[in-house]
Amino acid sequence: MFGPSAKAVGPRRDYTACNGCGLCFLVCPMWRGHRDPRFTPQGLAKALQCGATASALAAPLDACSLCGACDPVCPESIDLSQMVMDLRLALPRRPDIDSRHAKLAQLAGCAAPPPAGALLLPGPDLRAEPALLARVQALLGHPGAEDDGADIALALEAGIEIPRARRRRFLDRLDGRALVVADGLLLRQLRRWLPAARLRSLGEALGNLVALRRRLTGADFYVIEARAYHADHERLVGHYDRLRTETGCGINLDLQRMAIPVAARGRSHPPELAAGGDTTQARWLLQGRTPSRIVVESLADRAAIARICDVPVLHLAELAEA
Amino acid sequence: MNILPVEPGTVGPCPVAPDALQGIKRQQTNPARWNAAGWRAFVDELRVAGVDLVEGAVACGTYATDAGGTAYGLPHGVVIARDAGQVSSLLKAAQAHRVPVTVRGGGLTTEGESVAFGGVLLDMTGMSRVVKIDAAALTVRTEAGIFWHGLAEELRRENLDYLSAPLNLTSSVGGTLGVGGIDVNSARLGCSADQALALQVVTPTGDIVECSDSENAELFQRVILGYGQFGIITEATLKVRPYTPLRMHYYYYSSLRTAIEDLQILDRADASDYSGILTIMDCAVNLLVAFDSDAREAAFRATWESRLRGYGEFGFALCMAGHYALRPWRLGEALYLLRRKREVFPEFRRPEYMRDGKMHDRTVVYSRAVWKYWGSRNMVIPDLATSADRFIEAVERGNAVCRKYFRRYTLYCVGIRLRSDHKSHYEMSCVPPDAEEWAYGCEFEPMIDGHVYSRDHFQAFKNAIYDIGVDMGASYYRFGGMMKGYIRRVFGDALVDKHLAMKRRADPAMILNRDVIF
Repeated sequence: MFGPSAKAVGPRRDYTACNGCGLCFLVCPMWRGHRDPRFTPQGLAKALQCGATASALAAPLDACSLCGACDPVCPESIDLSQMVMDLRLALPRRPDIDSRHAKLAQLAGCAAPPPAGALLLPGPDLRAEPALLARVQALLGHPGAEDDGADIALALEAGIEIPRARRRRFLDRLDGRALVVADGLLLRQLRRWLPAARLRSLGEALGNLVALRRRLTGADFYVIEARAYHADHERLVGHYDRLRTETGCGINLDLQRMAIPVAARGRSHPPELAAGGDTTQARWLLQGRTPSRIVVESLADRAAIARICDVPVLHLAELAEA
Repeated sequence: MNILPVEPGTVGPCPVAPDALQGIKRQQTNPARWNAAGWRAFVDELRVAGVDLVEGAVACGTYATDAGGTAYGLPHGVVIARDAGQVSSLLKAAQAHRVPVTVRGGGLTTEGESVAFGGVLLDMTGMSRVVKIDAAALTVRTEAGIFWHGLAEELRRENLDYLSAPLNLTSSVGGTLGVGGIDVNSARLGCSADQALALQVVTPTGDIVECSDSENAELFQRVILGYGQFGIITEATLKVRPYTPLRMHYYYYSSLRTAIEDLQILDRADASDYSGILTIMDCAVNLLVAFDSDAREAAFRATWESRLRGYGEFGFALCMAGHYALRPWRLGEALYLLRRKREVFPEFRRPEYMRDGKMHDRTVVYSRAVWKYWGSRNMVIPDLATSADRFIEAVERGNAVCRKYFRRYTLYCVGIRLRSDHKSHYEMSCVPPDAEEWAYGCEFEPMIDGHVYSRDHFQAFKNAIYDIGVDMGASYYRFGGMMKGYIRRVFGDALVDKHLAMKRRADPAMILNRDVIF
């Protein structure tokens, strides 16, 4: 009776615990885009409390970007991102995503075992830019894993069941290592699957390099990759607070210290498939701000910002030569 | 089974619930569900008018209850507000077909005021954009469905802030202006409703009217603090100010009376920019004092701090240690205090909100802590609002009621500076009629913390608090919805009938927020 309250220490809870406080509205990019409570984590949880099925909630489930900002703000500790991911498993499959997933799984099946030691899991965006990938590897001193779980990341995003054997093969090669993971959603899941691994996001790993940190100035605007940040918010909020204090740069944190996500994502358009996308978030990010340079952790964010402004947009790894 | 005879006007003993009430009047329960007469014709008319109305369990279920979680009801359909013209079309059709319209902002009512028992639920949060920020004139024009936090986010990009708003991120601007809105700077700046300079209102008959103290003043007076009876606020012009972080000071008291006396001394002397009381237990009372500027803080330290009778954190911890060392049988209390201190205090000092000893974004800090450590599926927060000189008595009597009904509870007390030129706004509102210069409000919030209480238990608790108000001639913040049975007892027939007559003139079919007040 006199120990810590259940909410303070308990495991993350499910939708039944939603009491309708609405704090998730304030950080939700779906909400900003639609201004309709059905397109919020609370709306989903409340609909589920009323017996709604996944198919009845298909529109918001498709629209959710899985940025994860709702998870740390939820005072009831509801695992809202997981709720969306679980519900997506029950939605009808999409042939275009299935086909992409099959190709990635095939590539993973042919991948050589990773070298010993710390590893980089670069993901498809970084692989698509070999020069940048090489620079990241050189900066971190970590080789990239051939099997970086890109198929698993896409499965998590799109609501595709991950075969147990595939998951085991992937995880067995990584357990206990130091890993730098570029895909925020994969990183989130790896934290659960590999509690013994030493996991860092690409942004955190690069941001800890003095050579890069020193090049950030007060005229820069720094864009945190939202998924990785929110998946480890309690720890990373301090990391980025120090970054801001030391460098004076602006950061894409709102008043609740959640990262404003930029890239237009969603089940309907995972970033690697998105050609255009909604620019609402990017415009909100830059409203009232006039940075001389924008530094991003995620290539998807770089593309989204570059669509709406003329200011130079650099990947964090590119700072070394800027 | 021997069931005792029931005295007229009372509820008899329930043979089922262990906490069933004997002899406690049920002042109000949920209203009956509207019978949906003419619903289809109404829906057809809306469709022709281009108003998007959503039906079905998924859309309506989202609104099944409010923050209180004790009133449950479903609308027949939901309209997400998009602009004043659409709201106007909705209300015109609703008048013609006599369909009730319940308006909801953040849904943070506790007595079911924003729960629809049939009819249309109009969700104002769809109108949540800032229209214009005038940094030179220090004003903002905003759609009224915006959450205060959403407004703060936009204002901050211009290094501005609102003046005062509830310590709750998801209160909506329109909802707050309709009921008052209390902040820890209300003793200095007044309630949030007093910050409104002008409103765009859609009247119950669908007219879109701009109003202020100088334009359509009568409508302005009725809509401000009007509990949603005389129109729907669709846009508001508010005063704003330059953003400043706060320097916070906390003083701890073992006596509620002493803490309130010190609070009132500070308020009268205008010695601080922010002030309020939050209790952990009867013997652990926190007086919060804060400042926008170093100069104000220095003046307080030089003149007022030494006169306060509260302790600092360390001194109070020593006091409490001594207190419980002499009362070992109350070890449970001491452990509870320690637990709350360990959980809650760090939340108010999170490093990402502190810079050079100053707190940034106080509303975020407090609201998140409130939801995390006070929030629950059920929340009842009866309150009493009195003149300054009667406040201590009201709080002490209310505190005794809390002790009777709940093991743990929190009191939150603040002063509200009144504007003499807004007397007409305050009529039939939370501001007590006898208050001059300041009114004081106290919220009595039980800590539910996973326990389960029946609705009757909650209702009896609220009744007991409000009975004090009736006895003392006080007022309340939450007198609508389930507590509306108190309205005539508190305000008297003459005043209520005057407002009812105005309501009937303004809203002939009595469709707007039906059953909330009348």
